[in-house]
Amino acid sequence: MKKTLFFALIALLAALLVTSCKGDKVKVDENAQVSIGFWHAMSGDRIDLIQGIVDKFMAENPNITVDVQYTGSYNETLNKVRSAMKSGDAPQVFHSYEIGTLGLINSGMISPLDTIAEKYDLPIDWDDFFVPVQSYYKYQGVHYSMPFNSSTPLVYYNKNMFADAGLDTENPPSTFEEIRKAAEKLKASGVDTPITWNLHSWYFEQMICLQDAPFVNDKNGRSGNLPTEVLFNGDAGRTVLDWWIGMYNDGLFLDVGPGWSNHRAAFGSGEVAMVMSSSSDVNLLTKSLAEKGWEMGTGYIPRPEGAKGGVAIGGGSLWMTNDNTPEEELAALKLLEYISNAESQIAWHKGTGYFPVRISAMDQLKSEGWFDENPNYLVAFNQLLDSPETLNTAGGLLGTFPETREFVQNAIQEAYAGKPVQEALDDAAAKANAAIADWNDLIQ
Amino acid sequence: MKSSSFKNPLLPYVLLIPTFLILVVFLFYPAFETFRLSLFKVHPYSGAERFAGFYNFKKIFTNPEYLSSFWRSLVFAVTVVIIGLMFSLFVAVLLNQKARGMKLYRSFLIWPYALSPAIAGALFNFLFNPANGLIGYFTGVRTWLTDSSTAMFIIIIAAVWKNLGYNIVFYLTALRNVPTSALEAAAIDGAGPVRRFFSITFTYLSPITFFLMVMNTTYAYFACFGLIDVLTEGGPAGSTQILIYQLYKDFFVHSKIGYAAAESLILFLLVVGITMLQFQTTEKKVHYQ
Repeated sequence: MKKTLFFALIALLAALLVTSCKGDKVKVDENAQVSIGFWHAMSGDRIDLIQGIVDKFMAENPNITVDVQYTGSYNETLNKVRSAMKSGDAPQVFHSYEIGTLGLINSGMISPLDTIAEKYDLPIDWDDFFVPVQSYYKYQGVHYSMPFNSSTPLVYYNKNMFADAGLDTENPPSTFEEIRKAAEKLKASGVDTPITWNLHSWYFEQMICLQDAPFVNDKNGRSGNLPTEVLFNGDAGRTVLDWWIGMYNDGLFLDVGPGWSNHRAAFGSGEVAMVMSSSSDVNLLTKSLAEKGWEMGTGYIPRPEGAKGGVAIGGGSLWMTNDNTPEEELAALKLLEYISNAESQIAWHKGTGYFPVRISAMDQLKSEGWFDENPNYLVAFNQLLDSPETLNTAGGLLGTFPETREFVQNAIQEAYAGKPVQEALDDAAAKANAAIADWNDLIQ
Repeated sequence: MKSSSFKNPLLPYVLLIPTFLILVVFLFYPAFETFRLSLFKVHPYSGAERFAGFYNFKKIFTNPEYLSSFWRSLVFAVTVVIIGLMFSLFVAVLLNQKARGMKLYRSFLIWPYALSPAIAGALFNFLFNPANGLIGYFTGVRTWLTDSSTAMFIIIIAAVWKNLGYNIVFYLTALRNVPTSALEAAAIDGAGPVRRFFSITFTYLSPITFFLMVMNTTYAYFACFGLIDVLTEGGPAGSTQILIYQLYKDFFVHSKIGYAAAESLILFLLVVGITMLQFQTTEKKVHYQ
């Protein structure tokens, strides 16, 4: 601990020194010809969509050439960037998932976005970003990366089935108890397995945020020290899992396993009447219910009675590498600002279902009447806007997040099979803590 | 007898250079690097190394999950090899008969080999997934892949099915080389079809069986992670986590570079060991013509 503090002080001193030297902004030739690379992890139609946004950017900035490449999943992209850094041909901008944030902050291969924006005097208007979106990527008061594809979980429900079960089709259940009661009514009306979501730690994490409880220690990983232990086995985590496993044990919840297709399929085919999934599934699920002549509604994700927290943002953001010439840095910064402007974000939202990350983009969508045609998107927005800004709802940061998620998912499956919830969570926490200790040792 | 020789004594080495270069660059160097890294703690991003001796190995062998995954992989490999070879021999014998449309059957039974493990996984997911799997629909049991007592079973079936074509091709070829004269002679001496199969055909098949045993062991240990990734992601609760899948996760997802290097070294030694054991014990029973 002392060592960390010492290094933090040194880093602070160095930072002060650097900023004082750079009192006057760096001068670069804004119109010099420059080409930069941009690697992203969005497949399918989204490749063309991103290319379209970048093409517009290049048309507006004729001196900048951007080589956009789809480089596989987040993990593959990260691995490719890592090895490209070593050989010196890394892209200037790359895409990473939200749970990679603390790792990248400590990776020694990125430049914090705010630092670069200040260096070239092109400040980013963070006040125009949704609170959960910008606070997730803010660490120690500094925004490290540009929010890009953002989503939260959402409850989707089949209005026809709700009507058949005598439930209110316009006011979906929003607490643990209400969801359970609704599920029981649906089951009584003949829906054998009323609710499901895929096996993913994300829902568990979000429902801990809803209780304004931390996922890891050291201020949810945001204190400046590396977190040393997970806290998901506390009261908040147990409350979530007791409810979740309770519904499973009573035959209300259908276990569809991991992955992102089974739960959608179960909802689309009417096996279940309620599903939790990403807010970016609004279009997809509306369409699949419409095929069967059903109407779909959306609601906030459920919370224990009286819980006061909010949702944390999920998805990915865009990072800048740190081995670039000033011209490249400036071009990369301009690209990031362009991708996050209202126009690009609206195109991105309409094409994918991810949130536009800016308030101005949402205002524009409202005045266009977009939400009159797509009311379900509004629910997702409101859920986001209703989230207070605390370190807990900003989302936990953890270097070993991918591995920790696997431990949590294992614990959930063990609980399905009959292991007591507290014991399953404690065992998962012990494994996660051991992994954290190793990681912290490697990083220092 | 005069052995042929090159006029220029250097020429053979020059001719070997391209192959050798490829081997060094793509095989020996990475293998050596992996072995070396297994003795280091490696920074997940910068790749900075700190010598750690046998730290990684100690961690591996004190990890109860790794040890259970070790046994699980062994059981998985043995089952895949035994069921796979028995079933493909059975099918090959059936395919070796003369019947109308046999060529068609043969092609249909061999093509699964052309699929990638991920596609094979997707097909089995179509049958067994808990939301709308076909088998689930007809049997009313949805938990094939989400119950730890059946998930491994489905993975084994998928792994056997995926490699069926490969085994059948080899068995079919071998069956055609069994001399009919020997079979006829035995038939005249009064041996029934069962006796003929086990005493004569099977003896002639032993070299290929041995070869397939080695190949299938390697397949079961190294090539099945695509199937697992698509079907169960190692779950439920780790019940289908075999060594190669764990290795994939530790390196590509968790970035535990030194640890994963040590895992791969262990896996490598394990498979080399098993193969040598097979040569030591089984090969003596093999009858080469």
